[in-house]
Amino acid sequence: MADGDRLWEVFARRKRADHFEHIGCVEAPNPDLGRVYAWQTYDEAKWFEMIVAPRDAFHPVNRAEQPFTLHPSAEALT
Amino acid sequence: MTEEGKYSKAADLSEELREHLGSLILVLADNKRLLGMRYSDWILGAPALEAGIACSAMAQDEWGHGRIFYAMLREFGQDPNQLEHGRESPEYRSSELLDGPAAGWTDLLALNLLLDSALSVQFEAMAESRFEPVHYKVSKLLDEERFHFEHGRGWVARLGSTESGREAMQGAFAPVWEACVRWFGPDDDEVARALCDGGITDKDAAGLRARWLERVAPVVESVGLGLAEEDGGAWRSRTEPAWEGWDPDVRRGRGGGPDADTLVRVRGDKNRPLLMD
Repeated sequence: MADGDRLWEVFARRKRADHFEHIGCVEAPNPDLGRVYAWQTYDEAKWFEMIVAPRDAFHPVNRAEQPFTLHPSAEALT
Repeated sequence: MTEEGKYSKAADLSEELREHLGSLILVLADNKRLLGMRYSDWILGAPALEAGIACSAMAQDEWGHGRIFYAMLREFGQDPNQLEHGRESPEYRSSELLDGPAAGWTDLLALNLLLDSALSVQFEAMAESRFEPVHYKVSKLLDEERFHFEHGRGWVARLGSTESGREAMQGAFAPVWEACVRWFGPDDDEVARALCDGGITDKDAAGLRARWLERVAPVVESVGLGLAEEDGGAWRSRTEPAWEGWDPDVRRGRGGGPDADTLVRVRGDKNRPLLMD
C-alpha cells in the first residue's frame, strides 16, 4: 500500500429492501478516491446503493483480531 | 417543433440550428472518443491498481458516450460509420490536448480534471435542451461523469499534499488549463450564442467558461496551483485565452489532428476486415 493510502471497506445493496453486503475493499488516500475506486471496481451489479468506510473505523466486538482479517495469526492484535 | 417548444428530431430544427448543433455534437463525440483513448493508455501502469481500474472504467464511459453521439449524427445527414472509421487526422474536431498520449500521470490527471470537466459542462448545458434526443441522453452521461470529476479531485488532493506533487501538477496543468479556458470559444462566439438563443443550450461561451471555472478552480486552488483567483465571489482565470490560431469550427488552438498511432487506434484500422456493417 502506498504511503498515505488507507483501506476502505465497500458495502452495497441491489435494492432498497436488501441488507447491505460487504463486497470488498479498495486502497485510496482519501474519501473521494475511495468512493470512485469502489464504484468503478465493483461494477458487477446495478447497485441501488454503495457506501464505503475506512477499515480502521471498525472495532472488533467478539474477537481479538482486526476486522476483515483473513489470517489472524499474522495480524493478531495481541 | 412540438407544442411545448421541443424538437423531437433534427429535421425539426431550423437549418442554422441544425448545422450548429451537428457541428457541436461532432466536436463532443470526437473529444469523447479521443479522451477515452488517453484514459485507456493508463489502464496498465497507473500509480495504483485501483487507478488503472478507474482509467479502464472512464475509458469505457467515454467510448460509450462517443458512440451514442456519433450515432445521433445520422439524423444530421452524416454517416456514423464513416465518422468513426473513415476520416483523416485533420478532419477530427478533438482538442489538440488529445493528439498524443499524456506524457505522465499528472498530464493525464490534468485532462481528467480540466478537459473532461469542460466536456461535461458543455453537456450539462444541454440537460434541459429543447432538442429532446440530446436531453434524454445527457442525464445518464452526467451521472457517470460525476465519478470522473471526483477521481480528478481526489488525485489533486493526494498529489497536492506534497511539494513535489504540487510542482509536478503545476507543470502539467498549465498548458491544459490554457487550452480548456479557450475551448469554449470567445465570449462573443456567434455559434454558442445562437445555440443558447435557440434553447439548445442554456449558456453562451462566456457562461459556459464561467461554469467550468466555478467547477474546477476551487479544486486546483485548494492546493495552490496559481491558475485561477477569486474576484468578487466569482472565479476567473489568471491567464486570458490566446485566440491566435483558434479555429472555431474544430475548436482547436492549432491545426493538425490526432497523431499517426492515435489515428490507427481510434479508427480501428486493424479491425477493418472485421467491420461487418
